[in-house]
Parts: sequence; structure tokens; C-alpha cells
Amino acid sequence: MITLESYLLISVFMFAIGVWIMIARKNVVAILLGIEMILNAAALNFVAYSKFVTNNLDGHIFALFIIVVAAAEAAVGLAIVIRFFQIKETIHIDEATQLRN
Amino acid sequence: MFLNTLFFLSTFLIFLSSISLVTTKNIMHSCIFLLGSLIGVAGLYVTLGADFVAATQIMVYVGGIVILMLFAVMLTGGKDFVSRAQALMGLIPAMGNKFSTFVGILTAAVLVISTSKLFINLRSAIPQNKMAATESTVNKIGKLLVTNHVLAFELSSVLLLGALIGAAIIARPKKIF
Repeated sequence: MITLESYLLISVFMFAIGVWIMIARKNVVAILLGIEMILNAAALNFVAYSKFVTNNLDGHIFALFIIVVAAAEAAVGLAIVIRFFQIKETIHIDEATQLRN
Repeated sequence: MFLNTLFFLSTFLIFLSSISLVTTKNIMHSCIFLLGSLIGVAGLYVTLGADFVAATQIMVYVGGIVILMLFAVMLTGGKDFVSRAQALMGLIPAMGNKFSTFVGILTAAVLVISTSKLFINLRSAIPQNKMAATESTVNKIGKLLVTNHVLAFELSSVLLLGALIGAAIIARPKKIF
């Protein structure tokens, strides 16, 4: 019925969507959305393997730490986006060509 | 039966929201579609018997990160709020020019094809045994967090403190240096 392969297929789909967003879109906030999708795909893989293969809770712990790291990354990334908008008055990714103004 | 229904509903929600997340024009709508996709992942966690991870996913992502993204979109809502100038042949408005769309789809396809070879021998390679799906995991996760994984737990608190201070310093107003 619902096997490990179905979860892995959903995870591959989410990962491909995240990579597609990160490459194709030009908005910095959209690129951060793609990173969130990729992190979710990884965490879903960990929990699926934890249920079907290893039979312990280490995958759950790892998914919790992935969520913590994603929260920290989103906070710092959005701070950088806001700072970049203060300096350049745009959030187009092609405008980000130098580290200091 | 309930788990099967929840699984298919969550999968449908993830597929629909992800496709809309890529192809929509407005970045605000993209944030809302990301929220739908994350709720679908939380439903998949429930079908996997991971109740604590599902609750944390909803609290942190839906209550925290998506709201933060919406605030960032509203704070930076200048002329790039709706990216009208970047349409692909008038069809998919948010996708940059033809070249970046082509490279993005090509990279995603190469990743899917190269990882799909893993699926061929998966069932015979891995013995599949199931945990009980209706058992609460909160007690065990709490014990594991303060015994086996206590170093990672403390390091994540330091990481969150550093991210808090770093975000406050980076996003400070322009006049105060």
C-alpha cells in the first residue's frame, strides 16, 4: 500500500521544484522559498526512513534539527534581503553584485 | 483507511501547491502556496506516525517562517512586487527569461533521472519493517533530546542565539552605524 517509495517520490518532486525555483526565479524571496522546499524534502526523507527502515527515532530528531536550522537560515536570509532592499531599492538577484556599498 | 485518505489528500495538496508556487506571478501568492505545501508535508508526517514533528512543522513553519516571509515581502514591496517584466513568452509570468527557465527545468530533470535509478532495487535492498503508527513519540523524543543528542540540542540553542543577534545587526536601520 503506502510504501517507502511513495514518500521518496514525493521528496524527489519537492526537491526538483526547489531547485527549479532557485535557478529560474529572479526574486530573492522566491529563492528563499525554494530553499525551504529543499529542506522540507530532506526532512521528509529522514522521517520516512526512520519509520520504514531503522525503527528508531533518530530520524525524527534529525528532522527537528533541520527545522531549527531552517528557522535560523530564514531569519538571517530575510534580514539580508531587507538590508539589500535598503541599499539597492530592489530585490532582483542580478543587482546583487558587490558585498559592500 | 484514515491514514490512506490523509496520505492522498496531503500528496494532492503538495503537488498542486508546488506547481502553483513555481508558476504564479505574485510573490505574495507564492508564500501562500508554500504554506499549503508545508501543511501537506505535516500531513505526511502524521501518516508516518511522527506526531511531534508534525506539530513542530506546523508551529514553526506555518506560524513562524511563512509569516516572516510575508513580512519581508511587504517590507520590500517596491516595484518588484509583481515581476511583470520577466515573462516567459507571455505564458508563465514569474519564470525569468527563456534561458533561465530552460536551465532550471533541465537541472531538475537531470536530478530526477539520476536519483530515479535508486528506486529500481530499493525494495529488495532494504528490509521494510514498520513501527506501530498509533504510538505517541513525544516522551521518547524528549528523553533522546536530553540524553543521546544533548550536544546537538545545546549547539542548536547557540545557533539560534547567533542567528537572532546576526539578524538584528544586519537589518538595523541605515542611520545607526
